[in-house]
Amino acid sequence: MKLVTAIIKPFKLDDVKSALQEAGVQGMTVMEVQGFGRQRGHTEVYRGAEYTIDFVPKVKIEVLVDDGDAVPVAEKIMEAARTGKIGDGKVWILAAESVYRIRTGEAGSDAL
Amino acid sequence: MVAVSLRDARLSLLTQTSLRGTAYGAALAQLLDDTLTDLYGEGGQSPTAVVALGSYGRRELCPGSDVDVMLLHGAKARGRTAVGALAERLWYPLWDASFVTGHATRTVKESLALADEDLDALTAIVEARHVCGDDALTTELVGRGRQLMERRSARVLDALAGAAERRRVRPGPVAEVLEPDLKDGAGGLRDLQALEWAGYALGVRGIAGLVERGILSGDDAERLAVARECLLDQRVALHRTTGGRSDQLALQEQDAVAVLVGASDADALVHELATAARDVAWIARDVWMRVAEDGSAGGAADRILAEGVALRDNRVTLLYDYEVTALRVLEAAAAAAEVDAPFDRTTLVQLRDMAAPTWDVWERAAFLRLLREGERAVSVFEALDHEGVLVRLVPEWGHVRSRPQRNAYHRFTVDRHLLEAVAECARLLDLADAQPIEFDGIAARACRRPELLLLGALLHDIGKGMPGDHSDVGARTAEVFARRIGLDSEGREILSWLVRNHLLMADTATRRDLSDAAVADNFAAACAGDAERLRLLYLLTIGDSRATGPAAWGVSKAALLRDLFVKAGVAIERGAATAVATDRREALCEMVGKDAATAFLDQLPDAYLLAFDAEEAVGHVAMLREGSAIRCHPAEGHVTITVVEPDRPGLLATLAGGLTVCGLNVTEAFLFGTAGGVALDVFRATDPYGRLSDGVDRVEATLRDALRGEIDLDRRVADRERDYRRTNGEKGPVEVHINLGESATDTLVEVHTDDELGLLYSLARAFAALELDVRVAKVHTLGERVVDVFYVRDAGGAKVEDPARLEELRATLVERLRA
Repeated sequence: MKLVTAIIKPFKLDDVKSALQEAGVQGMTVMEVQGFGRQRGHTEVYRGAEYTIDFVPKVKIEVLVDDGDAVPVAEKIMEAARTGKIGDGKVWILAAESVYRIRTGEAGSDAL
Repeated sequence: MVAVSLRDARLSLLTQTSLRGTAYGAALAQLLDDTLTDLYGEGGQSPTAVVALGSYGRRELCPGSDVDVMLLHGAKARGRTAVGALAERLWYPLWDASFVTGHATRTVKESLALADEDLDALTAIVEARHVCGDDALTTELVGRGRQLMERRSARVLDALAGAAERRRVRPGPVAEVLEPDLKDGAGGLRDLQALEWAGYALGVRGIAGLVERGILSGDDAERLAVARECLLDQRVALHRTTGGRSDQLALQEQDAVAVLVGASDADALVHELATAARDVAWIARDVWMRVAEDGSAGGAADRILAEGVALRDNRVTLLYDYEVTALRVLEAAAAAAEVDAPFDRTTLVQLRDMAAPTWDVWERAAFLRLLREGERAVSVFEALDHEGVLVRLVPEWGHVRSRPQRNAYHRFTVDRHLLEAVAECARLLDLADAQPIEFDGIAARACRRPELLLLGALLHDIGKGMPGDHSDVGARTAEVFARRIGLDSEGREILSWLVRNHLLMADTATRRDLSDAAVADNFAAACAGDAERLRLLYLLTIGDSRATGPAAWGVSKAALLRDLFVKAGVAIERGAATAVATDRREALCEMVGKDAATAFLDQLPDAYLLAFDAEEAVGHVAMLREGSAIRCHPAEGHVTITVVEPDRPGLLATLAGGLTVCGLNVTEAFLFGTAGGVALDVFRATDPYGRLSDGVDRVEATLRDALRGEIDLDRRVADRERDYRRTNGEKGPVEVHINLGESATDTLVEVHTDDELGLLYSLARAFAALELDVRVAKVHTLGERVVDVFYVRDAGGAKVEDPARLEELRATLVERLRA
């Protein structure tokens, strides 16, 4: 099993969700996060008061998939989340050693 | 085996679902009494007694309750072994039958020593109940326990009041959180028990004693009894459903619990619970406040807070010789929030006699002052609600009162959420004066009309519980409310806009690409290019989100909102609304050519380009070229009918009649006259009878026939009126308001009446008969009532101002509507 993790722009969440549902992904976990990449934060001025955005709001999603599905899912996410502008985010894939469904105790692919 | 038969008997009670609430508790207590009495038999050598404590003592056992029981004895050290053997004989069968027991074996002296140190032990003793054995022992224990409680009165009351206050925070009020704790929530069973204990601490017998002492009214005691039955009924049902001991009425259990208590559905269940818990919470809080100040108050002179309203013994009091007008109630309410003091008990009763509000400038000001107090206004609103005054001030409140919200974001019922939103918005306004000034404080300080923020917060979800989209329905409801309280026209418009769009900013900020300049520009246009609307909506969005619950607010959403706020603000300063109009003008030029576009737009008012986009305009240009055309275009949920026709008196009446004959219900009409004497009329309508499902040709054909005069509209409309007449005969009032101040060029005629088939037709015919030209018509339907607004001019194109003419107009309209 693999854990696919992606950091995306918040407004792209609905698109990514639909794309993954179409691809047959059964579930995902979503978190509101903040951070910076090469985009960095930025400074805005409002009525003379300067305010700095050190960390940019992003959404982090995690999807557990079978080994063979990881790369296609990552590609789906990239396709759906891409705007072509700076700050589109990243996707990465990690190996998940074991997976269990808590209610039934099922393990491995059955638990996905 | 005693344990086996006890277990079977317990299971039998559990499965008899007709045994509910107190009846179940009494039956289980009786079963345990009988079992323990049998097991006790002759007792031991020294005197002993079996005593029931806690919910067992009160006969309020629920399926998952602990059974608290004590073996009381008088034995000295030597007799203890025998007593221990007796205790084992009593307790083991209970354990074997899977009861969770709290058990003890003590002498009276030991019990009292423990009770002196531990409040829980003390409260258990004062309510202890004798089961079997030597009742002299029980009587001594209870008697001395109550004396001890009375001696420790101040400390006990203080501790009970403190615990009650903590329950308001966690787990929170039963009536207002969506997954309430029936036992420990404020307004739950623990509050009821605490009132009983308060009675013993004051040296009287529980709640009944509090009534005798005049601390509670008989009415209060009755409400508490009803609430106790309701709470126990639901708790027994909850335990039956889950098979567990948890007292939290989780959303997922509510359907099953509703079935067990005979409620029609989960909403009805929660509503019944909220009504009961609201009574308990309110009465309990009142008692704690009164008890806390007992003796400390008195002597100080009255402080006058407003005319006929004084602060007496730290209670807001209506002075007796004044009439209870709405103004006095509102001023008392505002004062109560400002000085953060509760109402006097007699005053609360007087509030119920409040005369109907007139909503003059003073009443309105007092109401707004109350809202401005935010957090401190919440308990005042609770008091007004408890006495039935709130729904007379805000009749719309009835729809949202104790209404549950079933989604993952909300923590509170709708009414409590609205009050929380007011409190959050008041807090944001406070930031305007904070030092050092924060970002949101700058926005708050710039607000020209902060009262609209508070009213918006109070009403933003008022449409929940009424059919239709809650933002749309809410906006219309807010408009009616604003009109009733006499808000000026700009205020009404902004308030209704705020309610309609209260989700727009959060949706845009979280779902649109803010780095795309068009997003900010369009948002600025949605704010009508008005920086004040942007500020109010920004602050309302924050207040609403914070009042919703932790899932709806966080640094991430805050940053996105702020970003949109700044970018839309910049767009407004650039003149984005004008920019949208300019963009549309340019797009139209590209599509139809510069000359044609200019010629077309020059004959229309500026507002045209804000109401229609370039593609719609292209359609209009083409239709105008034809000189006479009809297009019917269905879209999601409504239909747009566009008519181009040589202008003539009575045109609107003919079209309205034709649409009525087609079964369409007009909701909005834009009427434009061009320089060439051709009218461009656009109607938005709903299709309540689904007439358009088989095509729009019939509508176009019918309108064409009507324009040619080939349809006897009077007769056809009358036929339909007969067929679709509403069955309930009572007619609502008819109101006609004429306003000369709102527009420099037109006379505004506003009609409030019952929604009736053919209403627009009938009104348009009246205008035509008076030779008045209707330029814009707005039709709002609110359930069975409508508010229609017409912008009219006379045949010469001038505003109608002559008083005699206006009176004739009013009389004609009223006469037609009454007919």
